[in-house]
Amino acid sequence: MNLWTLFILALLLLAVFFPRLGLIATYRNWQNARQREQLEDALKHLLDREQQGRHASPESLAGILNLPRAKVTRLISDMETQGLLETRGTQLHLTAEGERWAMHVVRAHRLWERYLVDEARMPLEKIHQAAQKREHTLTASQLDELDAALGHPTRDPHGDPIPTREGKMPSVERMPITAWQAEGPLRIVHIEDEPSIAYEQILAAGLRLGQVVRMIEKTPQRVVLSDGEAEYRLAPAVAANIEVEPLPESEIAKTNAISLADLPDAQPAEIVHLDDAVQGFTRRRFLDLGLTPGAIIYPELGNFFGDPRAYRVRGTLIALRKDQASQIWVKEVHR
Amino acid sequence: MDPNDVLVKAETLRNSLSSGFRDEIVKSLYSEAEKIARRAVKTAQEKKYDLDQKIDRLVTSPLTGLPLMLILLGIIIWLTVSGANVVSEAIANVLFGIGGWGRALFNQIGIPWWITGFLWDGVYLGLAWVVSVMLPPMAIFFPAFTFLEDLGYLPRVAFNLDWLFKKAGAHGKQSLTMAMGFGCNAAGVVATRVIDSPRERLIAILTNNFVPCNGRFPTLIMLATVFVASAFPPALTSFAAAGAVVGVVLIGVAFTFLMSWLLSRTVLKGEASAFTLELPPYRRPNVTRILYTSIIDRTIFVLWRAMQTAAPAGAVIWILANIHIGDSNLARLIADWLNPVGLLLGLDGVILLAYIIAIPANEIVVPTMMMVYMGAGMMIDAPATSAGIYNLLVVQNGWTMLTAVNLMLFALLHNPCATTIITIYKETKSYKWAAVSVLITLGTAFIVTFLTASFARLMGWA
Repeated sequence: MNLWTLFILALLLLAVFFPRLGLIATYRNWQNARQREQLEDALKHLLDREQQGRHASPESLAGILNLPRAKVTRLISDMETQGLLETRGTQLHLTAEGERWAMHVVRAHRLWERYLVDEARMPLEKIHQAAQKREHTLTASQLDELDAALGHPTRDPHGDPIPTREGKMPSVERMPITAWQAEGPLRIVHIEDEPSIAYEQILAAGLRLGQVVRMIEKTPQRVVLSDGEAEYRLAPAVAANIEVEPLPESEIAKTNAISLADLPDAQPAEIVHLDDAVQGFTRRRFLDLGLTPGAIIYPELGNFFGDPRAYRVRGTLIALRKDQASQIWVKEVHR
Repeated sequence: MDPNDVLVKAETLRNSLSSGFRDEIVKSLYSEAEKIARRAVKTAQEKKYDLDQKIDRLVTSPLTGLPLMLILLGIIIWLTVSGANVVSEAIANVLFGIGGWGRALFNQIGIPWWITGFLWDGVYLGLAWVVSVMLPPMAIFFPAFTFLEDLGYLPRVAFNLDWLFKKAGAHGKQSLTMAMGFGCNAAGVVATRVIDSPRERLIAILTNNFVPCNGRFPTLIMLATVFVASAFPPALTSFAAAGAVVGVVLIGVAFTFLMSWLLSRTVLKGEASAFTLELPPYRRPNVTRILYTSIIDRTIFVLWRAMQTAAPAGAVIWILANIHIGDSNLARLIADWLNPVGLLLGLDGVILLAYIIAIPANEIVVPTMMMVYMGAGMMIDAPATSAGIYNLLVVQNGWTMLTAVNLMLFALLHNPCATTIITIYKETKSYKWAAVSVLITLGTAFIVTFLTASFARLMGWA
């Protein structure tokens, strides 16, 4: 055996066994990351089921994780020893510790999606995949930083609520219509079917799910709603079974506004609202340029190729592409 | 009150804020500012933008706007190239004269030849060459460019051309950084700061080098006059040469778009982001400011970085030319070793060697090439006449039309100079992107020249 063979052999051994960088260590890291991903995906599935009021089972878990039953059984017993879940019959229940962890993963996923849309401006259909990977590597303190940097968002880009740092899922903003204080349009999102007398009264009055209404009057004697055409009178005790959510501002704006991109040349208009879909970087940019609600704007300079178009706002001339202009809602003003 | 209680209180209050409260804050800032402005500023009547509008119509219409743009760019480049020649020569005379005295002085006091050679024929010559060739074109180009900038004209160019850049997934303001690239790619890279979205800015940075800078124009012009133009009747030579240079520039622009398109669909995938472009009112240019920004911020800034890399390059060039192994010097040996690769690309070993050691500045590519071809011990100028260049390159060193065309392509597409690479690193704060910029351009240059060479050989042209 000569010196060269020995040298190469030593190099090979180093490459395999080197701590943290060698082949074995790399493989271990990869395997650990994979196991963590599986465990966290399982936690998410359990949480998801519990929020729907159902419970996960070994079968549903195997389906979601795409794993053979034997491996799932081992995963479940692992999680049990870690105190993350309890089995009751065929049902799997999250423990408090398991729920805390699951909430962390959901928070990571939704915050990261928010980040991808607002700051990295990735297309909506791409973000879920990216967040699916990243959610497993973010730490709690990183999430706090991200949360603060994004301005403490409450919803992810799909409209789902983002859990708080304490691991609580904020309830979706819906409440009995009788508890509604402010003005503005409301959408009916839930009509309680118990007791059935109240339910039948509500349906008989002609109210239905998804309807957009406004509160006209609220006294201890009666509640009056209007959808713009008809008026609905209900006793407060009955009306309390209707749950509503405030209509998102963008939808209010869209009901009586046109997009800036559709504004005819030289037609002055008042900015009503910036679309809710525009958040983060782009929204800040718009606001910095003075494109605030209430500002008067008109298209001054067209382009031979149709895009971009330049608008006069607050005395300056600003060119916007069609994609951007269609995110600004305006209403025409006539002088 | 305990600070923690305040935090908790803030946390709960935050949840009760409506989603549009940030918009409201900005809105109130604006209305406050308007109130103050109304009180403090008096206007005789409502401001009119009639004249600005008329100019804008003219500048942005396809009939007058696009030709105007091309004419202005043509004038600036012509001014730069022709005006710089005279000044460059004057500066070179002075600096090379100083070099001559320095050498004579060193010889007189008996310092060994290799120290004299290393310092004066290597380091100093590299510096002097770069300063004399680089300074004048920049001192003409940048003020001219800044003049248009100060006038308020440049944003209109971005406005006109944005549709093209949108198709490539880039930002309209990239047209401005490209125009800046004609002056100097490093300055073009710095100029990308006007693009406020990171993705589009990175595209503009990585593709800026496909626009030939001042340092590469003389090479392109020399090749166009000596080779391309000579294929035409004498009456047409200057048009043919100009046409060839314009053609090369257009190829560069085409590659910019192609590469922007590719990047925005692969590595830098993402949605076209907020395009907002302010079109400022036209102003009378401020001469002091023009001179300050163009000379201090741009010319001196770039020149200083170039000098830092030119001095060591001069030293390396001198060493390669003056260390002899057997009959030939190191430069010749390396060139011979590189020759097979060079031939494959339709070039030769000397050209590749010149491009490797002239990474610090494109201006010294031609002098380095001439040095190796003539077997000299230091960088030297090309022969003064077309006939002289033709004789040296074609008769003595076997150049063909293919070599000339491919060298023009290689000069256009090859890696950024060291100054630009350093600038890319400083702007992106990432070794990775600096490396990517080199790989993209060098890869393109190799592939394109290899394809043209193979094609020409297949057709029996070379």
